[in-house]
Amino acid sequence: MNVNVVIVGHVDHGKSTLIGRLLYDSDSITEGRVEEIQRLAEEYKRRFEFAYFLDSFDDELKEERTIDTTGVMFKGKNLYSVTDVPGHKEFIKNMLTGASHADVAVLVVAAEEGIQEQTGRHAFLIHMLGIKRLFVVINKMDAVDYREEAFQDIKNEVAQLLASFGYHHVDFIPGSAMEGDNIYKRSKRMEWYHGHTLIEALDGVKLSKQSKPLRFAVQDTYLVDSDKVIVGRVESGTLRRGDEVVFHPSEVKGKIEKIKILEGELEKAEAGDSIGIVASCEPKRGDVCGLVENPPVPTEEFLGEAVLLDNSVRKGDVVELRCGTRRVKCEIKEIQEKINSETGEVMAKYPDYISQHEAATILFATEPLVVEKFSDIPELGRFVLVQDRNIGAGVVLEVPK
Amino acid sequence: MLELKDLENRSIYILREAYAEFKRPAVLWSTGKDSTATLWLCKKAFFGKIPFPVIHIDTTYKFKQMYAFRNNLAKEWGMNLIVARNEEAIKEGVGPKDGKFECCTSLKTQALMSCLEENRFDALILAIRRDEHGIRAKERYFSPRDEDFKWNYKDQPLEMWDQYQSTTEDKTHTRVHPILHWRELDVWEYVKQENLPVNPMYFAKDGKRYRSLGCEPCTSTIDSDAKTIEEIVEELKVTKIAERSGRAQDKEKAFTMQKLRALGYM
Ligand SMILES: Nc1nc2c(ncn2[C@@H]2O[C@H](COP(=O)(O)OP(=O)(O)O)[C@@H](O)[C@H]2O)c(=O)[nH]1
Repeated sequence: MNVNVVIVGHVDHGKSTLIGRLLYDSDSITEGRVEEIQRLAEEYKRRFEFAYFLDSFDDELKEERTIDTTGVMFKGKNLYSVTDVPGHKEFIKNMLTGASHADVAVLVVAAEEGIQEQTGRHAFLIHMLGIKRLFVVINKMDAVDYREEAFQDIKNEVAQLLASFGYHHVDFIPGSAMEGDNIYKRSKRMEWYHGHTLIEALDGVKLSKQSKPLRFAVQDTYLVDSDKVIVGRVESGTLRRGDEVVFHPSEVKGKIEKIKILEGELEKAEAGDSIGIVASCEPKRGDVCGLVENPPVPTEEFLGEAVLLDNSVRKGDVVELRCGTRRVKCEIKEIQEKINSETGEVMAKYPDYISQHEAATILFATEPLVVEKFSDIPELGRFVLVQDRNIGAGVVLEVPK
Repeated sequence: MLELKDLENRSIYILREAYAEFKRPAVLWSTGKDSTATLWLCKKAFFGKIPFPVIHIDTTYKFKQMYAFRNNLAKEWGMNLIVARNEEAIKEGVGPKDGKFECCTSLKTQALMSCLEENRFDALILAIRRDEHGIRAKERYFSPRDEDFKWNYKDQPLEMWDQYQSTTEDKTHTRVHPILHWRELDVWEYVKQENLPVNPMYFAKDGKRYRSLGCEPCTSTIDSDAKTIEEIVEELKVTKIAERSGRAQDKEKAFTMQKLRALGYM
């Protein structure tokens, strides 16, 4: 099983070191890499760091900070794709880019520093992204002499913060990424701890697919041999030949006559499948279909929670919104609550605008489109906002019926 | 195990997004395993026919076998093949003797730039993977380049879920990376599963094989006894040697690759 893991936390709390440690202890480092890194460390007049096992830009080494996300893979019981994200506020958009595909998040908090600005913000954002599985590593235990009380203090503090985002019963792991305690190997220096090491916790992760209603997002229509083939992806549920479906917002109904791939025809397709269909109707790019018995409902208004990465937006502004393959113009009709993305606290009710790095619950008035409540069908319950470039992202909280 | 089907589904989705979002896309083909697999994914995405041009950048320093392989497959798959060469530099005799960086810039990057300009392509599909080397790990699926071909890696677009940034201002193009999430091992398992044609240079002869194919003067072999695709797959499961260890431009200086890439190298 492939598990996507994102490592989050405040800058310098040890995210990159932790990943380097996982790679090193799991024997995933390519030959010559250790020597290459020693040479680099010399060139940059630094001491050897596990973090150097992650690929980085020249500037990142010079400035000693992570600017953009990096992905690495290694094998445990699962095959892990681990994403390192920057811990600086100015690079939140890169953090979100890296976190958006994660199944699991690991929050790293340094034992001698405790909660810092990005600890809260990252926790808020992974909560917003709907990442339900979270482990906390209280790192740098070596710097507090591996004391249980130090661990407990921070654990309580962090547990309280996480509870405010709806994370309860989270596993806390005392560790040292630098010394290798409880990351890949069990530590002998914290006899008082009997829980999982980080790798044990990750190896225990099971991803299950829930059954959801059929949603198919249309990307395009191609003419293949005389067939008009509607291509797209099954976002959720199962699509079968013979199904009676309806496409919105085009509002066309039809029957699935064929499910096509290059090699031939299929009887059915599952969530995630990129396929072509031949149907007795002509939908357009941006349409979403579902079974006639359980159809998607097009809407012109919904409540979303969004975070702004670029620019600021005012009440009344019109921006582009993208959800699935649909692009629509939408108006910021009402900013209901401005939220502090560091703490999740409401900063203002009905403000006129929100600025970069702020979050808000927003009522959007849009051209007709299909969105789903994020908690029901996440694949169609998330969107990005565009103003020349991608400026923000969010999830759908409520869709009026 | 990463399911090949998931990897393939995602790549097809990306290719179809690119085709829907850009007016004049093209795909780059080195004739190597990754870009050949990418062409096959294009065939899957578009039901057999690749609906845009396939560009091969010819430095004239490629291996003989690569040219033969290219011409045969181009015919067999009915490609609209564009061979891009920097004729001027070739005439002037630019080559590896001028330094790897200069040679790559002139014969590859410049050749590609002219080809793009001539044909006004607005999207270029490339078969790079995150696990290959260095800074490729930081690439986006859709990555904008400015008019000088520069990659502004310090300010990359927000790319969440499958919402790729496809807006480019005038005169720029977007790099599209449909197999960014594949590993070398995945590509070989896919080659095996789909029975794709591969250049025979990947197979071991006298205890040596090429693991990555570039220009003849700058590519060397690795020690290997893998004579079949199955044996390559087995070899990759245990190897600890980096894939591009046989490619000179990666070795010469730790950051040559970053510089090349920032300048628009593939
Ligand atoms: N004492 C101690 N230092 C650590 C530990 N983990 C990381 N560090 C150091 O903390 C600094 C920041 O680590 P880094 O991994 O770059 O942090 P990031 O910004 O969260 O990725 C580096 O100098 C590391 O050597 C640890 O477990 N113990």
